[in-house]
Amino acid sequence: MSLGVKPESAEVSDVELLHAVARGDEAALARLYDAYRVILFGLLVRILNSREEAEDVLQDVFIQVWRRAKDFDENRGRPFTWLVTLARSRAIDRLRQFGARQRLATGAAQEQTEVVSDALSDTIKVAQRDTVRQALAELPEEQRNTLVLAYFDGLTQSEIAAKLNAPLGTIKTRMRSGIIKLRALLGSQLENFG
Amino acid sequence: MMTHENYKDLLAAQVLTALAADDARLLNSHVESCAECRSEMSELENVTALLAYSAEPLEPSTKVRERILASVRAEDQSDRSARDPVSPNNVRLFAAQPRNVWVSLGSFGAIAAALVFVAMMIALVTLWQKNRSTQNELARLTAQINETKAQVDRDRAMGELLTSPGGKMAKLAGTNVAPGAQAMLAYDKSGHAMLMAKGLPSAPEGMAYQLWYIKDNKKMPGKVFTPDALGSGMLEDQIPDSAREAAIFAITLEPKAGVQVPTGSIYLLSSS
Repeated sequence: MSLGVKPESAEVSDVELLHAVARGDEAALARLYDAYRVILFGLLVRILNSREEAEDVLQDVFIQVWRRAKDFDENRGRPFTWLVTLARSRAIDRLRQFGARQRLATGAAQEQTEVVSDALSDTIKVAQRDTVRQALAELPEEQRNTLVLAYFDGLTQSEIAAKLNAPLGTIKTRMRSGIIKLRALLGSQLENFG
Repeated sequence: MMTHENYKDLLAAQVLTALAADDARLLNSHVESCAECRSEMSELENVTALLAYSAEPLEPSTKVRERILASVRAEDQSDRSARDPVSPNNVRLFAAQPRNVWVSLGSFGAIAAALVFVAMMIALVTLWQKNRSTQNELARLTAQINETKAQVDRDRAMGELLTSPGGKMAKLAGTNVAPGAQAMLAYDKSGHAMLMAKGLPSAPEGMAYQLWYIKDNKKMPGKVFTPDALGSGMLEDQIPDSAREAAIFAITLEPKAGVQVPTGSIYLLSSS
């Protein structure tokens, strides 16, 4: 599948940027922020359903990047994965602090968010988004729902089982099968992503 | 007892943070000692991270970038404080000039305090070793160290106010009755404020300095404080809702209990 790919040097560049951040280079932190703010903010708003909360978490994430960049080991993971994992982890922590009731109450906030303008299409490659969405669409619906409830709503397997009124064992199987299929669809294309 | 295969089956849920806490702990412990699971988890993490692309991309407010950079710059300043002290400089509202604010904040003790703290600790140890007859000097230094620690704590609290969302700072300059006085007022969007002043004349018996919030010629009273022997003082207060934007801050000398309408001379005044 053809993708709008980043230059080959981009991955190396992100690693170098994180190393520079670890040495206290503020400009490197600013470059990382500029490169990933839109996708990370989109992810955080999707999880938290609130622009204000998402901005707080985004700020917190990059302060953590500043403090913890020295812990980043390129042999154990990609910069993009490190950033997304950090952002998602912070957001899920905050979501779980709110509790399920608050989560439901803020469900309408999503409608107030503003989709990024066309001018930003250079920052987020439309083709990359389409690729991921297409891969998700290829999963059986029950697997896709299970992954989305865990990834974006921060639900545990037990919570998903209760929500979908399905046996816990079934949810575990769907989750495992969904991730394995996703790897089969996307795993060979990692280098095409930021 | 879980086997390697059992653990491997948990990896998908783990990268989605969907495991129960007990299972997650057990799995993490296993992964630390299992290269195959580590490698598998890393692969699954890379794939899972791509799901972020399926969310609608959104542009955050430009203030987020400013706040991040102001915050890391503050940490950087703090780290460098022992080798790069900075003199007071012009101070403006925090949102407009974040770099100057931190230079100015440094003038109020964070930088000098760290230097003084280290120097006095060295002096303390040396004195203790040399001569027991210097007990009085030790006591004096200990008191100063405690004061320095308190100063560092105050500076840290002020820094936290400034780096909070919507944090601002204003500088108050001494008027003709106290030309050597200066103060800084930091406050967050909830109105929680900290004032640090220095160079004030000692307050006469029964008198104290009082903070005022002035907006559209309306003078709203703040708390009172009494400076120490060196003319330094601080207070925490809650800024009235109507005075959080574009207000002028002033300090006057008033009866110790505070007054509702200013009666004394203005000693410190912010620019409008």
